[in-house]
Amino acid sequence: MSAVASHTVPSAALRFARGINVGLAVFLALYGTIAVLQPGYFEVEGFLNFLRRAAPLIILACGQLFVIAGGGFDLSMGSLVTLTVLGGSMLAGGNPENTWWTIGVLYLIGLGVGLVNGLVVTLLKVPSIIATLGMLLSLNGAALMWSGGAPRGYLPENFRALGRLVYRDVPVTGIMPLSVLILIGFVGIAAWLLHATVFGRQVLAVGDNPRAAELAGVPVGATRVLVFVISALSAVTAGILLGGFAGVSTAVGQGLELQAIAACVIGGAQLLGGRASVTGAVAGALSLFALFTLLNLMGLPQPLRETVQGLILIAAVASSAWRMRRA
Amino acid sequence: MSAGADIATARPARDVPVAPLLFAGSLALYIATALATGQHAYLTGEGFVGLTQRMVALGIVALGQTLTILVGSIDLSVANLISVSAVLASFIMKGEPAMIVPAVLAVLALSAAVGLVNGLIIARLDVNPLIATLGVGLILQGLLSASFSNFAGSVPAAFQAFAYGRIGPLPWSVLLLFVLAFAIWLMLTRTRFGAHLYATGGNRDGARLAGLRTERVMIGAHVLCSLMAGLTGLYLASRLRAGAPWVGRDGVYDLESIAVVVIGGTLLAGGRGGVWGTLAGVFLFATLDAVFNMTGIDAFPKQVLRGAIVILAVAVYAVRSKGHVA
Amino acid sequence: MNTATPVLSMRGIGKSFTGVRALDDVSLDCQAGEVHAICGENGAGKSTLMKVLGGVYRPDEGEILLGGRPVAFRHPAEARRAGISIIHQELSLLPERSVADNIFLGLEPTRGGLLDRAAMQGGARKLLERVGTRVHPDALVKSLSIAEQQLVEIAKALALDAQIIVMDEPTAALDERDAGRLLELVATLRREGAAILYISHRMAELKAIADRITVLKDGKLVATRPAAALTPAMIVRLMVGRDLADFFPPPGDPTKLGPAVLSAQGAGNAVLAEIALELRAGEIVGVAGLEGSGKGALGRALFGDEPFTRGRMTIDGRDGLIASPRTAIAAGIGFLSDDRKKEGIAPQQSLRDNVLMTLRAFAQRLLPPGSGAMARAAADRQLTEVDVRAAGFAQEIRELSGGNQQKVVIGRWLARDPKVLIFLEPTRGIDVAAKAAIYQLMRHVAERGRAILMISSDLPEIIGVSDRILVMHEGRIAGELKRGASEEDVMHLALGTGQAEAAA
Repeated sequence: MSAVASHTVPSAALRFARGINVGLAVFLALYGTIAVLQPGYFEVEGFLNFLRRAAPLIILACGQLFVIAGGGFDLSMGSLVTLTVLGGSMLAGGNPENTWWTIGVLYLIGLGVGLVNGLVVTLLKVPSIIATLGMLLSLNGAALMWSGGAPRGYLPENFRALGRLVYRDVPVTGIMPLSVLILIGFVGIAAWLLHATVFGRQVLAVGDNPRAAELAGVPVGATRVLVFVISALSAVTAGILLGGFAGVSTAVGQGLELQAIAACVIGGAQLLGGRASVTGAVAGALSLFALFTLLNLMGLPQPLRETVQGLILIAAVASSAWRMRRA
Repeated sequence: MSAGADIATARPARDVPVAPLLFAGSLALYIATALATGQHAYLTGEGFVGLTQRMVALGIVALGQTLTILVGSIDLSVANLISVSAVLASFIMKGEPAMIVPAVLAVLALSAAVGLVNGLIIARLDVNPLIATLGVGLILQGLLSASFSNFAGSVPAAFQAFAYGRIGPLPWSVLLLFVLAFAIWLMLTRTRFGAHLYATGGNRDGARLAGLRTERVMIGAHVLCSLMAGLTGLYLASRLRAGAPWVGRDGVYDLESIAVVVIGGTLLAGGRGGVWGTLAGVFLFATLDAVFNMTGIDAFPKQVLRGAIVILAVAVYAVRSKGHVA
Repeated sequence: MNTATPVLSMRGIGKSFTGVRALDDVSLDCQAGEVHAICGENGAGKSTLMKVLGGVYRPDEGEILLGGRPVAFRHPAEARRAGISIIHQELSLLPERSVADNIFLGLEPTRGGLLDRAAMQGGARKLLERVGTRVHPDALVKSLSIAEQQLVEIAKALALDAQIIVMDEPTAALDERDAGRLLELVATLRREGAAILYISHRMAELKAIADRITVLKDGKLVATRPAAALTPAMIVRLMVGRDLADFFPPPGDPTKLGPAVLSAQGAGNAVLAEIALELRAGEIVGVAGLEGSGKGALGRALFGDEPFTRGRMTIDGRDGLIASPRTAIAAGIGFLSDDRKKEGIAPQQSLRDNVLMTLRAFAQRLLPPGSGAMARAAADRQLTEVDVRAAGFAQEIRELSGGNQQKVVIGRWLARDPKVLIFLEPTRGIDVAAKAAIYQLMRHVAERGRAILMISSDLPEIIGVSDRILVMHEGRIAGELKRGASEEDVMHLALGTGQAEAAA
């Protein structure tokens, strides 16, 4: 028995290591290139600022990862980010006293959106890609309706601080952006939920084979609803951070859901469920963000981001399909 | 087994006739709203022609989407391809009547190529069709937005006849929609390709065992679908008198084309359905548009309502299905 | 007969899937006008061999010769064009399409570029007549019974007008009358000069129709002999590799039966009616019946997957109908699906994660996945107990053979240790060694005071393992047989002819 067990450990560890290394290696290569062009990136401060700007995408990727692991997609994330930023400025109206209850309301909205997504998928059996696309339309409409088409109001300073406050004179690192602390906490919770709880295993089982999971007694519906709630809450979190350094506009969240999906896929997550790693998703999001930064530095027009992202999506999925076929 | 044999000798009852029911229901809703709001202009001949004209853009692309869904795939790149086609057409034409033919040919060639790429990625590289066409859509939109940020070129008056010209009381474009619908119906029900399309969508492995080249059927369906999206782009360029890089996305043609196909009774998993159901679904959406107009609902709540209607429409069919969706 | 160049000849065929050797150096040939039967246990490689011949799989080694010329098929279309028609075991019909559409799939006659509907109708009618059914060419396949679908499948194979016809268990879903008609058809095809490869388990059929018989076991060819030289007992010994006597575990001790742990009275739903049964602790009850008899539906109803809508159920002393699998498990029932791939395993998860799935399904969500009874050591103990053979327990389950996958799923239930276990086709598609191991395991579990309902289409297994046998017919329990009943007894009840006999 012990012979069997010891025999297995390396193969699993190896598989795990390989999963991380692709995303991580890509990121290191890209980041290295950026740093050559802009030496500031080589310093701790430069890296932490890079992390601060990448934080919303990383958080979105972690949330999306739960939905993907469970076999679905959440296309409504980006529009929920927009709604969070617009709604935040509408509710708070620039008054710092309103910040905390505004954030509470935003999380409640997120909870509602996630519940609706999850219930539409599990009870009405609408495929998540359609359900969340419909939610995207509705949320965009709602955001426009709420702000009357032209966003008014602005986010109070203590709200914006969450995304852009940087602590100075911190030992060891010199500076420490508040959003990086939030990011670390969030990623920690996500990694714990997916990899260190019974719930995480249930998500993977449901994504891998929902029928088998159901017949084994796994509460498939509840699990599905929960992953959409996690995804929506992470979108609200990302929106709050993004509000700190992006302006209040109706386009602030546009396309972020696809970036999050791409990050997960680059990080080795299996579309349609069953295989996912938080470390991979973080590495994937970092790679993607580094790529966008690099393309900016090289003067590539902004819209071509989309093209690059499309190519990456297809390449990542095609290569994982190829690996599955060979296995 | 004798009981089974008796049942089988009788031709089985057909399924619920989705298309006529949907059509009649939509018409009733339209007339009732017009009467209730007292807008009797909507009930004249001209009013009904206007109603059918609302069908054209979504109708053409939905006919194409019907094919990809029937074959067991899906196409999320149509909205972006529509934008590309509209811009490309007006950019090449630049108001010159002489450039109409080259522009149309260029658009159709590009569309066919996009369909071919979609089909190859799905059938050969084994990439999930949602992701493949999403990715291709992103690539198209990125290239387009990087090259054009506003209306590009213009279409000559002669080409505007496509959208505005009439033969008798009937607009050319409406006629084209119905001719295309008839042609695709004929193809689906009376040709080998149509039979193979249903077979591939209904049971891909079974179709392969029966010797069908299912990859080619898949690719063929995608090429046709993209051609339909290209035609929609041409129509929009003609109607707007120029192409802009946002026309496809603003129309939400990807999601709406899928929604009307499913509303029309075509199985999202493929293998069952047809064009008349899709047209009835398009008619429902045109009616809703008109009803929103008559009742004066704003643009933004309209968008919220449409999102909800799409979900509910799919849910009506999906909710009875056994098993899980993701 | 042996002097002519065979129409079909397969030489040294080998094929592996993810490390599992499915075929190993198999050679066989078939002459024009010959019926060459192939038999072997489930998982012996028969279907794989036919898929290699049909161009579905490409062999890793060996070659196929048609009329002496080597061929290499890359697609089923090429095999069909070469004159090979295959009736596959899994039905490949399109339920939403008409019978005529299905029969002529890929061979549609056209006129002026359009389908020639009249020719399809007429042709379909003739072919359907030939296989002996009155099914309407315009009927949708989904409206047909399984037996009629099987006959349509055969008509579809005949539409190709092939010289080589492969039939993979064509009579599995047919009753005796239809099966008899099919055998006549096979005889006719042989007279007309077709070379026929005929896969079947039914000894009587093999005697009636086969000219030569080839036996496969574990992917290897055991023997090819003239049919006249083999008796059924010899065939079985070749197939199983040993006598059946020690294959099945000893019967349970009837004096040690415990109280009733599950009972149903007057229970029914859309496909089941008047179900009355009682399971007692310590016994294995077999459920037999033809395809479509409702035996699978019975298991799913008891487990709440397709629940009963009327009647009464008692589990472990508590009343109430089961509404969902989760409530069934909570009440003390376990369920092994007949479709391991679709309903049993989570393919990309490890053996440990698969074996712990049910324990985790009922654990606190935020606990560590390896806490308490879900510890890795406990998982490994369970996997060792059911004797899973794997490179390691962290391996993904999809990389295992069917038999080992099945053991993991059984282990999942043993970890939970429910009072009642419902096993649907527990050994379908599993090699002989794993089969015997699973039978032993079932007996051990029963001896520990659990009740097992074993629903199976495999008659020898029903007879060899069960302490008593329920036989289903048209959604009802047609009768109950004691241990020691014969295959004939079961078949009479299953065909609905048992009642008449009892009355006579």
